[in-house]
Amino acid sequence: MLKLLIEKELRDAFGSTKFVVTFAVSAVLVLLAFFTGAQNYHTQRAQYEAAVAESMRGMEGLTTQEYMMLRPLALLAPEPLAVLVSGVSNDIGRTTEVRGQGMLVAEGSRYSEQPIYAAFRILDLSFIFQVVLALFAILFAFDAISGEKERGTLRLSLANAVPRGTYLLGKYLGAFLAMTLALAVPLLLGCVILQVMDVPLSGADWGRLGLIVIGGMLYLGVVLGLALWVSASTQRSSTAFLVLLVCWIVGVLVWPRASVLLAGRAVEVPSRDAIMAEINRFQRQQFEESLSSLMDIIPRESGEDGPSAEAIEEFQKRQQELADAREAEGSAFRARVQEDRINRLRVQEQWALRAARLSPATTFSLASSTLAGTSLAMKERYQESTLAYQEAFDRYLREKSGSSQGGGIRIMLRSGDEDDEPEELINLQELPAFTTQPVLFGDVMGHALLDFGLLLLFNLISLAGGFVAFLRYDVR
Amino acid sequence: MTTTTTQPLLEAEHLTKRYEDGVLALDNVSFTVSPGQIYAMLGGNGAGKSTAINLFLNFIEPTDGEARIDGIASHRDPLAAKARVAYVSEQVRLYPSFTAIQNVDFFARLAGKTSYTREDYRQALLRVGLQPEAHDKRLKGFSKGMQQKTGIAIAILKDAPAILLDEPTSGLDPKAGREFVRLLQDLRDEGKAILMSTHDLFRAKEVADMVGIMNQGRLVMQRTRDELHGEDLEALYVRYMAGYMEG
Repeated sequence: MLKLLIEKELRDAFGSTKFVVTFAVSAVLVLLAFFTGAQNYHTQRAQYEAAVAESMRGMEGLTTQEYMMLRPLALLAPEPLAVLVSGVSNDIGRTTEVRGQGMLVAEGSRYSEQPIYAAFRILDLSFIFQVVLALFAILFAFDAISGEKERGTLRLSLANAVPRGTYLLGKYLGAFLAMTLALAVPLLLGCVILQVMDVPLSGADWGRLGLIVIGGMLYLGVVLGLALWVSASTQRSSTAFLVLLVCWIVGVLVWPRASVLLAGRAVEVPSRDAIMAEINRFQRQQFEESLSSLMDIIPRESGEDGPSAEAIEEFQKRQQELADAREAEGSAFRARVQEDRINRLRVQEQWALRAARLSPATTFSLASSTLAGTSLAMKERYQESTLAYQEAFDRYLREKSGSSQGGGIRIMLRSGDEDDEPEELINLQELPAFTTQPVLFGDVMGHALLDFGLLLLFNLISLAGGFVAFLRYDVR
Repeated sequence: MTTTTTQPLLEAEHLTKRYEDGVLALDNVSFTVSPGQIYAMLGGNGAGKSTAINLFLNFIEPTDGEARIDGIASHRDPLAAKARVAYVSEQVRLYPSFTAIQNVDFFARLAGKTSYTREDYRQALLRVGLQPEAHDKRLKGFSKGMQQKTGIAIAILKDAPAILLDEPTSGLDPKAGREFVRLLQDLRDEGKAILMSTHDLFRAKEVADMVGIMNQGRLVMQRTRDELHGEDLEALYVRYMAGYMEG
C-alpha cells in the first residue's frame, strides 16, 4: 500500500511543472555554487600563498641583531568546504600579525576587503538548501491534502481501505523522494566539478560534504512535513500556501535574526571599545613605568666603546625579567577586564543559538557550517592556532635572542665589539610555521550531532502534527 | 425485480447525524440494501442523502445509530467496512496528469486488486462506454461525462459486494445515462447491493428495487418496486415532500 502511494506520488510529481522547475532551478543553482565555489577556492588559495610569500619577503634582510623586528603573519588558509558552506569564513579576520607576546588581533576579513559580497552574501550550498529548496519543498507539498480534497481525489482514495497514516506517510515519502531525485543529479555533477577542478578534498572532507547534504535533506524533510501538516489543517490549498509562506518568512528570514536581537536585549555586553580603552590606558601607564624602571637600570658607566658586553648582557637579562613581569601583569589585566565581557558574550551567544535553533533553517545552517568547519568555532580555532603559534614564536625568539617581544618598551644596547662583528641574516627557514588546527571529522560530527538530532525531532514533530490533523480532517 | 431475503449488505439502523453547529442532517434513518438489490434514495438538496453515504464511508461519525457494510459498523472498523464497498461520487475527479488506464490502475491497486492486467482495465473502461482511443489519454482533456465513466470503471474494478453511488448520472448525457442504467442492472444481476442517491426520478423508477424519499434528514417514504407499480413516482415525490413540509 505504502509503495503504491509513493509510486503514485512520484509519477504525479514527475509529470508536473513544479518538478521540472525544481529540477531546472536547483540544477542551475547547485552547479553554479559548486563551479564558483571551486573557482573561488583556487583564487583564495593563490591569494593566501601570495600573502604567505609576502609575509616572508617582508622579514627578509633582518639580521640576527633584529630578532625583535620579526613580525610574522599567521594567515588563515582557505578551507575547501568553506566555499560550499561559507558560514562565518568570510566575516572573520584572516590575517594576524604575531608578536612574541601581547594581544593578537585578526584583521582583513574577505567581506571587509570586498564589501560588495557582504552586501549580497554568497550563493552557497547552505543558502540554496535553506532558502531556495525550502520554497520548492513547500511548492511540492502545500496542496498534498487540501489540493486532493479540492480536486475530489481525496474522497475517492479514502473510500478505500487506506489508513490515513499510511496515506500521509506515502505523501511525505513520495514528495521527499521526488525532491531527492531532483537534487541528486545536480549534486553528483557538482562533485564531479570539484574533482575536475582539482579542489583538494580528503576522504573525511567528502564524508563531511555527504553529511551536509544529508542534513539538507533532513531539513527539507521538516519543511515537507510542515507543509503536509498545514495542508491537512486547511480546507483550501491557497490558504495552506499562504500560511506556509508566512512560516518560511518567519523561519528562514525573521526568527534567526530576531533570536540574536532578543539575546542581545536579554544579556547586555560591554562594548569592545570601552574594554580596549581601559586596556590602552593600562598599557600607557605600563609604558611610562617601563621607561622609568629601564632608565634606573640602564648601564651608566661608559668608556670609549660604550657599556661593556657584560654590562649589556646584565642589562638585557634584567630588562627581560622586567618585561616578563610586565607582560604577566598586562596579560592578567587584559584577562580580568575581558573576562566579564567574554562571559557575557558566551551567555548571549548561547541564548541566541538556543532560540535560533527553534527554526529548522537555523538548525540546518548551524549543522552545515559546523561540518564545513565554518561555524562560530572557526574563529576560536583560528585564535587558538594563533595563540599556539605565538607561544612557539616566543620560544623561538627567546632561544635565538634571549629576549621576547612583549612587556612594553625595549632598549637595545650594543657594545662596540658587536659593531665589528659581521651582521648575519636571520634564517627565516627556522621560523616556526603557522598551521591552523585541522577540522577533525569526529569533532565536528560530535558538535553537529545535536543539530542532526534536532532536525530528526522536527521531522517527527511535523509528521506527528500532520498525522493528528489528518485524522481529524474533514474529507467531504 | 425480486427483493432478496438474504442478509443485507448495506444497513442503516437509526442512523442520526447532528453536526457541531446543531444542524440535524440525518434523523433516525433506517433502511437495508440486500445483495442483488438497487436502492434509490431520492430527495432535494440538503435532504440527507450525501450525509448517509458519508456515514457509510466513515467520512463523518454518526451521532447515533450505525451504518453497516456487510455487517461491519463503518465507524467501528472503517477499513474493513470500506474494503467491502465501492464508491462513485457526484463529480468524479481523477488525477489529470494520469491517463485513464493509469487512474484505474492506481485506484484498483489501492483497493487491493493487484492481479488485473492492462487488458482488464481496457475491458472495464469499454464496459462503461469509454472509447478505446481515450484509454491512454491524460484526463486533462476529459469531459465531465468521460471522467464519470472512468470513475464508474474504478468502482467496477474494485469488485466490492456493495456499491455507493452519489448522484452518479449527474455528468452523463442521455445516451450515457441509458448505458449506465443497463450497467447498474448488470451489476445487480451479479449480486451487488447498490445504494444510489439521485434526483433523477425517471431513472430511479426504471432501475430501483426500492425507493426511499428523504426530506430534511428523515426518510419519509420507502416503497418496493412492486409497491410503486402503477404509481406516478413524480407525483408521489412531490406529495411526500410537500406533505412532510406541511406536516
